[in-house]
Amino acid sequence: MAMGKADESLRSTRLVFYKEDIEKIAKVLNTFLKNANARCVLLVDKDGHLVTKEGESSTYDMDTISALVAGSFAATKQMAKLLGEEEFSIMFHQGKKDNIQLSLVGERTILAVIFDDKTTLGMVRLYASQVSSKLGELFTDISERKSEGEKISQEFGQAAKGKLDDIFGS
Amino acid sequence: MVQINFARREVNCKIVFYGPGLSGKTTNLEIIHKKVPDTARGNLTSIATEQDRTLFFDFMPLDLGQVAGMKTKLFLYTVPGQVYYDSTRKLVLQGADGVAFIADSDPNRMNDNLESFKNLERNLKDYGVDIRKLPVVIQYNKRDLPGALSVPELNAKMNSINAPTFEAVAVKGEGVMQTLKGISKLVVDRLNEEYAPVKSAASAPAAVAAPAARPATAPPPPRPPSGVTPAPAPAARPAPPPPPAARPAPPPPPARPAPPVPAARPAPPPPAPRPIAPPPAPVPAAAEKKGSGKGGLILIFLLILLAGAAAAWHFDIIKGVPPAPWKK
Repeated sequence: MAMGKADESLRSTRLVFYKEDIEKIAKVLNTFLKNANARCVLLVDKDGHLVTKEGESSTYDMDTISALVAGSFAATKQMAKLLGEEEFSIMFHQGKKDNIQLSLVGERTILAVIFDDKTTLGMVRLYASQVSSKLGELFTDISERKSEGEKISQEFGQAAKGKLDDIFGS
Repeated sequence: MVQINFARREVNCKIVFYGPGLSGKTTNLEIIHKKVPDTARGNLTSIATEQDRTLFFDFMPLDLGQVAGMKTKLFLYTVPGQVYYDSTRKLVLQGADGVAFIADSDPNRMNDNLESFKNLERNLKDYGVDIRKLPVVIQYNKRDLPGALSVPELNAKMNSINAPTFEAVAVKGEGVMQTLKGISKLVVDRLNEEYAPVKSAASAPAAVAAPAARPATAPPPPRPPSGVTPAPAPAARPAPPPPPAARPAPPPPPARPAPPVPAARPAPPPPAPRPIAPPPAPVPAAAEKKGSGKGGLILIFLLILLAGAAAAWHFDIIKGVPPAPWKK
């Protein structure tokens, strides 16, 4: 499948996301949120970095949630291998009020949907599978495009070291 | 793997504390959590057993604030040290941008150090990473132990890659921040090497051309040139301004007004010739100015009716009406 190739490229070219990419992704995610009536959706890289988020998420500690989402997905992958499966592509955790569904987009990105009783697991799952394929196409486009975009400033290294001295003590 | 997110204007790096069980990896993180200012540290999350041994990983984000226009974060992870947790250790190591190897200075733990270091090398290799090319520092922890091996001895036995080393007594907080700073600087140096624009003549025009090709990325000028702004992250966050600026999509508005204006003027003449010339012309024009196309059409229709009635009167089609005055 084309997706596999795109992921390979993403994996080797590292993770750089440009504004225009994220805007396209955000559009897809917002449509998904409306359709599925979910509360919040996150896109997390398998290394545990948050790629983008949409919906109500101001109260959540996004960095930690992203790390844990990636961690639990990675653990599940190991479990799948032991059971003779290559990967479990969907995970679901049910709470009293809130639930979270994690599903794989391509090979290196995880779609995490947080939803409550305003919707149902079926709705979320239905629209999540649609959105996954749309995002997959977007990632293919992103990975196939030549990365001639914005770059970080040359002063980044020096500025960062200054910050490290300020925060950690020189 | 460094994540550079130009949309969120974020740079995220992953640093992993590796080493044998009980060498002090979690203690390092706890001390960092205590010592780092509130503005910079996130929550320390541990996935541990009931005996407080790391089961999966400990995690703590550190926010360096704005660095050269990018909100920069370090994500610190520890791995479980015990040998039988190798699979989870490997998972945590995935995508690491730098490794701080925490070694135990106890001579009785030397084999554990060596085994863990080999394990690190092997796990990195499985991810296609050469340990000699990855930013790595070694911390010799528990320097206060009686009979601790000397640094030259430790170096000779386990620092085959000539990594920078730091002495520490983590439980007392000694040497912890130095180790973190050491590995962070190596990671930052690597990041700068790989991502900062190159000044060579060949690449200069490409760097200039790039923003032009991407209108969405061009607007964010809030990037402060110096970048050395003090820690207050929320105030300095430059990310929000660009999105609204980019959203209005400036190109379409100028394009739209141009064609319709000339197109609208020639349009009225076609209906004009039909009714009696002088009066109708200004009427549809006025109607058009108001933007009400329907009103104009109705007027034209009425004028045609009027002309029809006049013709009927002229040719005496309507009975009982005196002849038209102009017939004589």
